[in-house]
This record gives sequence, structure tokens and C-alpha cells, in this order.
Amino acid sequence: MTKHQILNPADHLELRVHTGPGAEWGDAVMACLTVPAEFRQVQAHCPIVFRRDDATGAFSAMALFGFANGENLFLGVDRWDAGYRPAALAIQPFLIGRHPAGGEAQVHIDMGHPRIAQGGEGTRVFDEDGRPTPFLERIATLLGNLDHGYRSAPAFFAALESRDLLEPFSFEVALNDGSRHSLVGFHTIAEERLAALPGEEVAQLHAEGWLEPIHMAMASISQFSRLVALKNAQLGHG
Amino acid sequence: MAGFVRQVVVVGGGTAGWLAASYLAARRPELTVTLVEAPDIAPLGVGEGSWPTLRETLASIGIAEAEFLRECDASFKQGSRFDGWRDGSAGDSYLHPFTAPPPEPMAELLAAWQAAPQPLPFAVAMTAQAAACARDLAPRQRAMPDYAGALTYGYHLDAGKFAALLARHATTRLGVRRIAARVDGVKGCVDGTIAALQLADGTVVPGDLFIDCSGQAARLIGGHCGVGWVDRSDVSFNDRALALQVPVAPDSAVAAQTVGTAHEAGWLWDIALPTRRGIGCVFSSRFMDEGAAERVLRDYVARHLPDTDQSALTPRLLSFATGHRERFWAGNCLAIGQSAGFIEPLEASAIVMIELSLRALIDSLPVSAAAMPVAAARFNELFRYRWERIVEFLKLHYLLSERPEPYWLAQRDPATVPARLAENLQLWRERPPSARDFPQVDEVFSAASQHYVLYGMGFAPPAALPQPGPAAQRRLAEVAARARAAAAELPTNRAYLAMLRQSPSALAGASSAP
Repeated sequence: MTKHQILNPADHLELRVHTGPGAEWGDAVMACLTVPAEFRQVQAHCPIVFRRDDATGAFSAMALFGFANGENLFLGVDRWDAGYRPAALAIQPFLIGRHPAGGEAQVHIDMGHPRIAQGGEGTRVFDEDGRPTPFLERIATLLGNLDHGYRSAPAFFAALESRDLLEPFSFEVALNDGSRHSLVGFHTIAEERLAALPGEEVAQLHAEGWLEPIHMAMASISQFSRLVALKNAQLGHG
Repeated sequence: MAGFVRQVVVVGGGTAGWLAASYLAARRPELTVTLVEAPDIAPLGVGEGSWPTLRETLASIGIAEAEFLRECDASFKQGSRFDGWRDGSAGDSYLHPFTAPPPEPMAELLAAWQAAPQPLPFAVAMTAQAAACARDLAPRQRAMPDYAGALTYGYHLDAGKFAALLARHATTRLGVRRIAARVDGVKGCVDGTIAALQLADGTVVPGDLFIDCSGQAARLIGGHCGVGWVDRSDVSFNDRALALQVPVAPDSAVAAQTVGTAHEAGWLWDIALPTRRGIGCVFSSRFMDEGAAERVLRDYVARHLPDTDQSALTPRLLSFATGHRERFWAGNCLAIGQSAGFIEPLEASAIVMIELSLRALIDSLPVSAAAMPVAAARFNELFRYRWERIVEFLKLHYLLSERPEPYWLAQRDPATVPARLAENLQLWRERPPSARDFPQVDEVFSAASQHYVLYGMGFAPPAALPQPGPAAQRRLAEVAARARAAAAELPTNRAYLAMLRQSPSALAGASSAP
């Protein structure tokens, strides 16, 4: 059960948080949000796909870790088997909070999150004098980057949609044990339409800073073969 | 004995005896190891602080760290803190941590330390361990592999339980044969070596190599071999200790270091285990009688553990001879533990000397009867060196004091200072201690230990230091950053040890992972 609070030394002086990877800490997820500014790091390890919210129609980018709900193929026992941990996972159980009327972003914490430690293990958020620990300083930097990324994402997707550069995508998974699975409901870059885009349009995307994340997202699709290999290894058919 | 050493017989079942039997059996499975212990002799049970070396020793014996911690009621030790040694004033305290200063020339580090905008105690500037010690933190997280830590550490342990764990491990997992009987006599050969032990029950135990772990009794090395004792009480005055064990509350903080507090004629040890604190008053019988020592001891308990019902506590008096054997390996008999030597418990050199003796012995094997005198001569040379260095390093703690009591004045009397130590101090006024002063492999007390005691006690760094360079300044900045991170990431000793007891199965799984 989530229980959001504004993080502050008065209420959270002794608070400790589990920082390592682990299913018991809530890392057993099939995907997490990512933002265009992070695509370069993410594409080196996992596929990046886009999902449209049925209610609002808005797109968001996801870093994919598995093929089914709750399946995270990068998660070993107490181990993260990739060189990069996407920021949206790394910041758990913290989040950015903002007053509905606007104003400064604040660091919030979900006190219902499994990463909230009991029994004195885990990493402190504040030192005994109430100053942020190096861990919280790192989290605050990540949250700031992520927040900036979230807020720039609508412009990225608007640039893609206005040029019709998103297309539905399905991925057929044939595993070594003979089973077949299909991944549907995501979008990806419409590569043929991108290739046919007039030069001035490409220059425009470049000027807006979107050309790099577009290519990073395209490159990330090759990481599907890595997901399949991890899945086969898990099945013992690697 | 004709060919190579095959049968090893250990006499004595304390920490030294069982460590020796376990270590030899684990490292040299081709040997037959027998341990003879008298059923009616209780081990001394006061060597309750270890050096970081014990982690490697336990790992090579094959005991999992969680098992050791639980079975021996152990906690982590990250060094020693010395309170009141300089002048006894409030705030007179310094730390000798196990983690060495950064790998940069000490003169450069001293220059950077002296140039820092706000003055820091030497140990605080040199290692993140000081931050962990100040907060009673553990040196590791439970998820780390066995015997690995964010900081260097040893243990505080219950010596009786430790000997019992080693005995179980040695007899059930390592094939050591245990005989509970008194040694009545020794059968010697014409060449002076030992052929067999004659036990009270009539059994005769033959062997190729005999290890004397019989403590102060020194049944074999002293009693049979007649190797002389080198008395060092001229340098090291303390010869008595009054020891107490004080139970503590299950949620009390567990200190991360041994605390040694100076008093008018000696010092007190304070060793924190999860369930009790071992507190002892070490003194010199030339300067203090037993009654006065008990008052010092009880006063310390009253100040530091005010809720203790002292009427229920009776201190135990220990008398110890200060010195070491002339030789430690004579014929086919090797002395390990208190039979080899003992200098007061300051800096906990007892267990580490057992371990170093065993390492040196292992490195001497295999050995034939013909080559044994040469191996013994090398061993004796090495350990004479080590005992000399221990005597000097312990003396150093007293030399730099400004305390005015007769005992402390006598400690500083130049007539009681070993020549090499006096020479070292002369050099160290002009340049800091270096590895060239302590060039042996496995020095008991390295240059780093000398640095912590010297500059902790306020010894003036050399006047001619280099200009503080960027490399050393960067190192000290890294120490400060690591100290902040360590303080945030490490659990308290109490939390670590409580979690360890809560989840034995989870931990067994973790420790078996590759």
C-alpha cells in the first residue's frame, strides 16, 4: 500500500532504505518508465518501447525487462545483470512531489514501499544531524534529471506524432523450449517513414534535440535478442 | 621419528590448542593430528580480542562467519581506543583503527593533515573507520560475502565458546582425534626430542611433532625441553589483571572497538560482546595492590554501566609472567600461545601470535627430522624478532604519556626503554615511521600502527614536512567522503547481530552462494 510523505529530517531522521536490487524490494517488474535523456544509457541494455495511455492518449517510454507482468530477466538473486539501472527503478522508494498549484519540486517518499527498511539495516537518508547522506544527494540528482526528462517527454512525442513516426509493434518470441509468446500493445519508431522523411524535417528534429533519442530507441530494439537469450537461459535451454 | 613429520600431537585445549589442531588439520590434511587436553583444567578464557588475521584463519579452517559470530557470542572489532593515556584530562582519547591510512607517503599525509582548515584527530583524518567506530557501526553488511567488509576488522569473542566451537569443528569435520586425559610424563629420545606422551590413563601417544599449548604451565617446552624464559618485566610492568563480566541489555549499543582506559597504575580493558561486557583492570603489582585495583575496576563499572548490580559481581584475579621463551621450537617441540610468551593484553597480541606461529609452521612443512633443526632455527629467529617488536610497540603507548603518577613516571624512565625503541623515536622526530623500520612479512605492528599511536598521542610531526601536495589532499578528501558514505550505509553492530540471530536459515543460504 502506498503511503506518500514529504521527506524531511524531522520525520525521517532514522529512516533506512534498502538500496540493492531484489525481487523482495519491488524490482520484479516487467518494465519501468524511461525518458528521452536516458535512452542512450538504457539502449545499451534493454529494449525501449512506447505505450499509449488508453484514457489520455498520451505516450510514454518504457525500458523493457521481461515478457510478462512481474518478469524481470535482469534481476538475479541480489544482483542486477546489466551495466545500468534505469533511473525510475534506482530512485525507488522516492518520488518527485509538486503542489497542484505548481512551485518547487519536493522529494517525497513512499513509506509503504518494500524498500523501507526495518531492523536497522539499509542506508540512512539523513545523518544524525539531519543533513542528507551521500545516498540522498545521489537520489536527489537522479530525481531532478528524471523530473526534467518527464517534463520534456510530451514535446518529444508531439514531434514524433506530428510526423507520424510511431507505429504499433508486436514481437514474436520463439523460445528454445518450443513455446511461442507474443508481445503486443506497444509502439516503436516507424523506421521506414523516418527514412523517407524530407531533409528539412530531419534537420528540424535534430535542431530540437530529438534525433539522438529517436536513433537510440531504434537501436534498443536489438536488445530483444538479449531478453530472449536471458529467458532461454532461465528456462535452462540457454 | 625417521622421515617426514606425519603425526602431530597438540597438548592443551584452549584457544591456542584448538586453533593449532584445526589449522594444521585443515591446511595439511595428510597429517594425523591428536589433541590431548586435561579434563579438569578450565581454559584461561581472557584472550577475547582478535586481529583482522582471524578472518583469514577462520576461512581457511572452514568455519562460516555467521556460525562463528553466533556460536562465540562474537561482535566486530575495528581497533582500539585509548582513553586517558596522554594526560587523563576530559576528551583525552585517540583511536588505533585496523584500517591503514591511505597509500600515500606519510610525510605527505601529515602535511595535508596539518594544513587542513579545521583540525581533525589523526585517525579521523586518515580512515573512514573512525566514523564507523564513533557510531558503533558494523564494518560490513550481511549481504557481503563471508569475511569481507567495507572496513578492516577482527572480532571480540567469548574465548571459552570459541575453543568449544573449534573443538567441535576439529573433531567432527577435520578428523582431529581428541584425548581427554592428563599428561603424566614425556618419553624422550637420546637426542633430546620427544618420542611420546605418557597419559594418566596409561595410554602412550607417540608423535613426530609436539605442540605445547599448555599455557603458562609450558609442560613440554619448559618442563621437558627446559628452554629458558626471558623475563621482560623490566620493560613491561603489568603482571596482574582483575577481570569481570557485566551483563548488558539486549538493545544496548555494542562498541566497535576495544576501549583501553588508563588509570594510575595501569589500564582497564572494556570489550563489548552482544550479551556482556568484559571489563578488566590491568595493573602492576609493584605499584598497586589488589584492593586498590578492585576499587579502580568497580569505579569504572559504576561510571560506565551505572545500572549494574555490583554486589553480584566478583572479579577474578589473573597473574601473568611477562616475557617469552628463549626459543619457541626446540627439537621436535613447538610452543604456541602462552607457553611461548605473554606480554600484557594491550593491543590484543595473544591470538594473532598464535595465528602467526601457525602460519610460519605451515610454511615450514613438510620437514624431515634431518632438516628440522634448520627450520626450528629460522622459526626461532623470526619469533624472537616478533616478540621484540611487540614489547617495543606496547612500551611506545606509555612513553608518550604526560601522566604524573609514579607508575607512569617509571614507565618513561629511559632505563626501562629498549634501545631500538629509543632509536626509533629519535628517527621519528625527523621523519615518520616507514615500512623500512618494519620490513618483515606479516609484521605484528606495521608502520601504520606506529603512526596511529604516535600521532594519536600527540607526538609532534617532523618540523620539516613537504608542502601539502594535491595527491595527499585528494586522499584525505576521499577519506572524508567515504566516512560519510560508511556512516550512512553500515548498520549498527547491535542491529547486525540481532538480525543475524533472527534469520539463521536466510544467512546460511547467503553464505553458501559462490
